[in-house]
Amino acid sequence: MSPVIGVVAPRILAPAVMLAAGLIVKGYSDTGEGFSAGVIVALAIGLRYITLGRRRADRTLAVARHANVVAAAGLLIALGFGFQGVLSGAPPFTHLPPPGSPVIGIGTLELTTAVGFDVGLFLLVAGSLTVLIRYLTELLPDPADDPGDER
Amino acid sequence: MASAASAIAAVLFVALLAAWAAGGGSVSLPWAPTLGIRLELSLDGFAILYALLATGIGFLVFVYGSGYLPAHLGHQRRPASDARRFWPWMVVFMAAMVGLAMALDLVLLFVLFDITAVASYFLIGFDRQRAEARGAAFMALLVTAGSAVAMLLGAVLLYSEYGTFSLPVLFERAHPTPVTTAAAALIAVAALAKSAQVPLHFWLPRAMEAPTPVSAYLHSAAMVAAGVLVLGRIHPLLALDPAVLDALLLIGFASIAVGGLIALAQDELKQVLAHSTISQYGYVVVLYGIGGAHGAVAAALYVVAHAIAKSALFMTAGAVTEATGESRLSRLGGLARELPVVAVASGIAAASLAALPLTLGFFKDELFFEAAAEESPLVGALAVVAAGLTFAYLGRFWLGAFMGRRRTPASRISPLLVAPIVVLAVVSIIGGLFVEPFARLAAGAGAVTVGAPVDASPGYHLDLGLANVMAAAAWTLGIVILLATSVREPVARAVAAAGDRLGPRRVYGLGLLAFERLSEAAHRAEVRDLRTSLAAVLVPGAVLAALGFFATPTEGAYAVGPISAADLPIVALLALGVVAAFTAARDRGRLRPVLALSVLGASLAGVYAVMGAPDVALVAVVIETVVTLVFVTVFSQLPATVMGRAGPAAPSPHRIRNVAAGIVAGVTAFGVIWTALSRPPLGSSDAAQDIQLTPLAHGADVVTVILADFRGLDTMVEITVLAVAVLGVASLLRREREP
Repeated sequence: MSPVIGVVAPRILAPAVMLAAGLIVKGYSDTGEGFSAGVIVALAIGLRYITLGRRRADRTLAVARHANVVAAAGLLIALGFGFQGVLSGAPPFTHLPPPGSPVIGIGTLELTTAVGFDVGLFLLVAGSLTVLIRYLTELLPDPADDPGDER
Repeated sequence: MASAASAIAAVLFVALLAAWAAGGGSVSLPWAPTLGIRLELSLDGFAILYALLATGIGFLVFVYGSGYLPAHLGHQRRPASDARRFWPWMVVFMAAMVGLAMALDLVLLFVLFDITAVASYFLIGFDRQRAEARGAAFMALLVTAGSAVAMLLGAVLLYSEYGTFSLPVLFERAHPTPVTTAAAALIAVAALAKSAQVPLHFWLPRAMEAPTPVSAYLHSAAMVAAGVLVLGRIHPLLALDPAVLDALLLIGFASIAVGGLIALAQDELKQVLAHSTISQYGYVVVLYGIGGAHGAVAAALYVVAHAIAKSALFMTAGAVTEATGESRLSRLGGLARELPVVAVASGIAAASLAALPLTLGFFKDELFFEAAAEESPLVGALAVVAAGLTFAYLGRFWLGAFMGRRRTPASRISPLLVAPIVVLAVVSIIGGLFVEPFARLAAGAGAVTVGAPVDASPGYHLDLGLANVMAAAAWTLGIVILLATSVREPVARAVAAAGDRLGPRRVYGLGLLAFERLSEAAHRAEVRDLRTSLAAVLVPGAVLAALGFFATPTEGAYAVGPISAADLPIVALLALGVVAAFTAARDRGRLRPVLALSVLGASLAGVYAVMGAPDVALVAVVIETVVTLVFVTVFSQLPATVMGRAGPAAPSPHRIRNVAAGIVAGVTAFGVIWTALSRPPLGSSDAAQDIQLTPLAHGADVVTVILADFRGLDTMVEITVLAVAVLGVASLLRREREP
């Protein structure tokens, strides 16, 4: 493993999550949305799994072990925001608050149903890709077992 | 879990009785208002009869099952926890039956109809380690759920004609037209397949692979009853055209004959009963074919009496097999001494089915004979023959198991396997002595079927009334058939053999085989090698895009204009992309083509960014990174051989085809990219509208607003597909790990 990767791989996740959060928060008024954000986080997680091996990565990143739960929760959140209108008789994907009314904002983040849907999308994409990463890296030999790799 | 299921059934039964005593009731809620579908349920006279049957017999069968299932699992050395795959489906089935009984909306009827089919699939295939059980479950699903599509077609036809799915409204508006007749006939086809009527009867005998409680419930009182339930429910639509009713008569008598004759030839206990069910529901279909008040009441009483007796007989078959380990009549006999209670109780049930006096069944035949004789002398005569046949095969069944020489010794069996049979026998006797409550139930159901109050007064008339003479004739005929062994057996065997050789079951088998070959051929053509797999995606995509070009007026749209200075970055990026594409296609190395692909993707992402599509560029960069990472990781695990050293690869035998596919895909892709890069004017397209509406949706980024809002439903479906795909890949990888 090159020293650059050895340094970068364990540290890239936090910036990646920050970037993803930025993409979602700003996404509705600027470039980017939940899908890209999810893939970016999954990429950082993937880098960690490939460099550390499945076992060690699992130990350092407990939440990845429950990626399937995250993905399912994301799907449910997306479904919930998508179909909330149906409960009150409106068509699915009715935008709330309705067009023209003011939106509550926390800084740049605007609380609309579409943003909620985007958050669900993000969790689903990040979660499902992490599930795949964990399965695939299990097929790889564990770098920790490789004597030539450790110094 | 078994006791929970039984408790649910018992509570439902009592609740239904209480609701009925309180005067019934109905619910009508909008379900899918834009499609005119309502959640319309009504506990009327017709519903209560079938709902009480489903829950009452359900309760007894569940009690029986709580004794049967542990032993069944024990015989097959399966863990007791497998019962978890059994009871929920039984309860789902019961709930669907109760809903079906009360449904007044055609689409609702269809949905519940299909839920019963799905539940029956899992129940019939409960012994999933046996290929026969799986095949039987698949056949039952294919025949009953496949023909249920006819019901949906009929419902849509009626909707297009009268603008409603609601049955009460349809009854008011419907008048005889060819479309109405076609729709009614289509719905009847689905119902007849469910009730295992000729020629779609063949799934029922095979469904005997199911554990006995399933047969005792589904194949006596529930699944097969769902078919005639629908016939009774939509009867006013069927009665609009006499030809439909005549067809029902014909199919009913054909089923009575086929089922009855083959039942005489069967050796397996449950096979006798399965063919008997085909035959007995033939009676009900005949009665609905006769129609009118008499036919409707007789049909309702027939369903009740048959369900009670038949489920008792199925449970008897299970109990006998459990006690002796034998399921064939030729190996059984003389069990009356060892299983006296079962013998008496099942004797009463068989007597009720054969319509002997002092049982509830006597009245079902009384009403049947009256309705048949009223229709025409020919139908009356056929009715007598049918009843004689029934008498004969039931006699053969009961005498064969309980009388004569003892062939296999019996061991003790759990009282849970006996008590339900006794209860059903007692109900049959009570019905034979006090028929009034049952007659009232049947009259209530008949009144709903014909849409007018009817009265029915079955009772014992000690005179030479027509029904009594017909009954006596039927018994005599039955005894003659029973005694004439030397004539009966060859005839019955010949019919059964002819059915095997020429019957619809063979058509089903050949059809299934043909579909499998077709699917196999298509599969082989697609995944023969990597190139065909790619072509299967690229060529159809290219053809669709090309069709789009031909359909769009493109006159003068593709002009080669001058290149402005602002376009230079695009040109440079595209040139890089072209070089990378050539490298990826021609380089024989392993890692170089992958990196070249990555460069190609990055250069295209750059083009998007320069063109003013930063969202697309972002996604492209992210995805390119994932793909490269996966490639590099996988290649790092491949064995270390160098592709380039293996010498030139043998020329592919499909070279011309490969080149053609490449050209088709390449040319259309070229056209599409040209279109995008020439920045067509927005005009009044959907895109222009979306851009205009974006501020209203509290957004500024059109692409994100389209994804998460305007086309949110599309995104929803896409991410659901993504989740399902991940699930599929995950289960594939998980299997990989297991030895």
